[in-house]
Amino acid sequence: MKRFIGILFLSSQISLFAQTTISGKVTDIRSNPILGANIYLDGTYDGTSTDENGDFSFKTSEKDTQTLVISFISFETFIKTADVSALKNLHIKLRDDVNSLDAVVINAGTFEAGEKAKVTVLKPLDIVTTASAQGDFLGALQTLPGTATVDEDGRLFVRGGEAEETQIFIDGIRVFTPYTPSANNIPTRGRYSPFLFKGITFSTGGYSAEYGQALSSVLLLETIDEPDQEKTDVSLMTVGVGVGNTQIWDKNSLSVNASYINLAPYQEAFPDRNKWNKPVQSANGEMIYRHTFKDESLLKIYGAFSYTNFELIQDDINFTDGFHFGLQNRNLYFNSSYKNKFSDNWKLETGLSFTNDHSNLKIIDDKIDNTDNSVHFKIKLKKQFTTRFKISFGSEYFITNFDESYIQINAQKFTYGFKNNLFASFAETDIFFSKNLVTKIGIRAEHSGLLNEFTISPRASLSYKSGKNSQFSLAYGQFYQNPKNDYLKFNVDFKAENTSHLIANYQHTKQNQIFRIEAYFKDYNDLVKYNTDVVGFNSNFSNNGTGFAKGVDIFWRQNGRIKNTDYWVSYSFLDTERDYKNYPTAARPNFASKHNLSLVGKHFITDLKSQIGFTYTLASGRNYTNPNEAGFLNNQTKNYNSLSLNWAYLIDQQKILYFSANNILGTKNVFGYNYKNTPNTNGTFDRQAIIPNADSFFFVGFFWTMSDDKKSNQLDNL
Amino acid sequence: MKNLFLFIGLCIALNVTAQTPYQTGMKKAFSLWEAEKMTEASQLFERISTVETENWLPFYYAATIEIIGSFGLKEEAILTAKLSKAQEFLNAASSKSENNPEIIITQALLNLAYIAFDGQKYGMTLSGKNNQLYAQALQIAPQNPRVILGKAEWEMGAAAFFGKSTKPYCDEIKRAITLGKDEKIEQEFYPKFLLKRALEVLKQCEN
Repeated sequence: MKRFIGILFLSSQISLFAQTTISGKVTDIRSNPILGANIYLDGTYDGTSTDENGDFSFKTSEKDTQTLVISFISFETFIKTADVSALKNLHIKLRDDVNSLDAVVINAGTFEAGEKAKVTVLKPLDIVTTASAQGDFLGALQTLPGTATVDEDGRLFVRGGEAEETQIFIDGIRVFTPYTPSANNIPTRGRYSPFLFKGITFSTGGYSAEYGQALSSVLLLETIDEPDQEKTDVSLMTVGVGVGNTQIWDKNSLSVNASYINLAPYQEAFPDRNKWNKPVQSANGEMIYRHTFKDESLLKIYGAFSYTNFELIQDDINFTDGFHFGLQNRNLYFNSSYKNKFSDNWKLETGLSFTNDHSNLKIIDDKIDNTDNSVHFKIKLKKQFTTRFKISFGSEYFITNFDESYIQINAQKFTYGFKNNLFASFAETDIFFSKNLVTKIGIRAEHSGLLNEFTISPRASLSYKSGKNSQFSLAYGQFYQNPKNDYLKFNVDFKAENTSHLIANYQHTKQNQIFRIEAYFKDYNDLVKYNTDVVGFNSNFSNNGTGFAKGVDIFWRQNGRIKNTDYWVSYSFLDTERDYKNYPTAARPNFASKHNLSLVGKHFITDLKSQIGFTYTLASGRNYTNPNEAGFLNNQTKNYNSLSLNWAYLIDQQKILYFSANNILGTKNVFGYNYKNTPNTNGTFDRQAIIPNADSFFFVGFFWTMSDDKKSNQLDNL
Repeated sequence: MKNLFLFIGLCIALNVTAQTPYQTGMKKAFSLWEAEKMTEASQLFERISTVETENWLPFYYAATIEIIGSFGLKEEAILTAKLSKAQEFLNAASSKSENNPEIIITQALLNLAYIAFDGQKYGMTLSGKNNQLYAQALQIAPQNPRVILGKAEWEMGAAAFFGKSTKPYCDEIKRAITLGKDEKIEQEFYPKFLLKRALEVLKQCEN
């Protein structure tokens, strides 16, 4: 062909007789020859591929200045513009493509789920097919190391941190009220359905300067850019019904979901330990509109509304008639985000979220009404100078308006609240020194209007790929967070609570196999302390609290070694003590277990068209204070054990029957003890175990999808 | 899968005498393909595409070779590198020729390469996408035999999994074969119907 083209040129361009030979050698940076690299003069047919020695040579009739292009998969494309006569005996070293899947990644502290991730710890389906998760994305995350089993609460407790220390973001924009409301001792769930998200990043520490106001952890949820197809989903469950519809037209799509949950029939069939005056009822609606503009920029508008109400009487040793609690909550969440690429490798991301949350609570004979209006606005710019050097920077503004009124039985009313405005800016850079060494350095500055305080938090991480399948990472960061709303409503004379994270990680990955081990140390300062049993206006607050958490997290996942079987094991060791709240001394807080173990397995039985799965969770005992003995948090509960099973049966391509059972062995777990306020006649305090409302929970659902192709199903919905 | 690319290569007509560098280049690329010199063939298509910037075909074939070559790969890093490259070619092809059913079904083939590699990781999002792509292609070109065959083959896979009869798809395959035999190709180097492969699929279907 070369000769042929030569002839063609000879005939077409009569004046041209001279042919130039272009030759050289292509190697990687360590001078190993590259076989099969593509070499050509840009805009011409002249070119060839390298041989096994990396050598190449071809003739061209082109003259003057030309651009030589050398490209090969997994390497950066090399471009050289020169006079053709100078393109001889070249030695070209191609640089590794640092964006390829086998390049080093910054991963200390971070777990990723979703197909975009380089190392996926959880796959999209895992979020919904993990036995203990019950379709809640938080449930699946609670099988990862670093999280604690706090089954009576349901929120994420990460590495010795309280639940409030974890912040959740949708498309980079903060979610202010991510959890559904629930009564004492009844686990909460995430408000958002898992099938909205295409990727989840769960950071248990050392995260980017882009995120602040979180002492322990950030959970980043990324919504789907474009839905696959138009469809209608119907779900019939033992606890309620749901319906969803997706429409796509031109560059637009709209998805709408609605669900109604009523636990009355279930509670009738399987009574629990509470007396339900009004069983849990909730109505939820969600809507996402997406529009892709001509220039590929993307606008997403997401709105969710939910209403929950229930009323119950819980058995309580201090109340002979039980503890009366009622709740009515309505929550409106709106999130819009826009991303665009422009000019020379610039990227703009901006978004706004708004939350309006209103609750009416009845606690014994008192009433509490509160309203939380919060706004988050953020703008972020990213610039990629080369594939090896990127910067990003941005600013954000948070506004929280919290108002509460407290009406006592005698109709005396107290109103109070606060306005919490916070401005933050961040800047960060990613530098790849090679395919094996990368660093990320960032800084975050925050100014809290409420506390009138300015803070600076540096963040840094470094990863080194030590072998084909292994890498080491280090991360350090300083983190600030304003005291939680529960304190701010009574007092605002605070400093921000703060902590520093130091993390070392080793990871070994192979196809279908991940092993990682991570050690960390967290040092807490300026934690809020108060001097009363419960917080109130009469409490004296200070920022004198301190604490620490250190530990080791281990994760192992293996898929397919045993046919059709996927399993993972998570183990966390946690050593933590805090002197905060009203603690008289430093102690391990009652939500923290020293050892947490999760074992999750899934097996697909082709003949039965079924996926069966189990989750086993073990957590060592938690501290509680026994007033009959000296000391504080002086006792420990027995270990927590739970085995959950699930079974998904595909009736046909669009119909699924799903069954799950949590704690199927009915293990009697104890979370702590509630002691009577006054001693009995023998001078001892009687106690009541804090136990789940029901030992086990069963769920049966039927999911039916209707779409033109008659093939999709709601497997991703479970 | 190896047969598939052989057929694609073999079925490309070589019926016009060489006139332009484009024709020479394309023919040379197809003959490399036929000789199973996949890298060289793909690279030649890539080079042609840098000259023929307004023509979707070189991009289309460069993508097709990368996709076919990624089936059966064991290393995810190589797979994603190849498929990302193929995706770039396909994006370039569709920017030259919008709503082209041939490009749409090749996109579905690319997605299938991901799904075949790791169904759990990629299946959930991409299989829905593929349903959509085949539906879209069929809407644009209801009589295109490659679209009909591709769609039937994709759906057969799912039906077989659910233990359902694949019979309804046999008729579709037969229809594709009839249409394929009668198809008049007007554009030079336009993708051809792979009769031999269609007959193989039909055999699977009737079993």
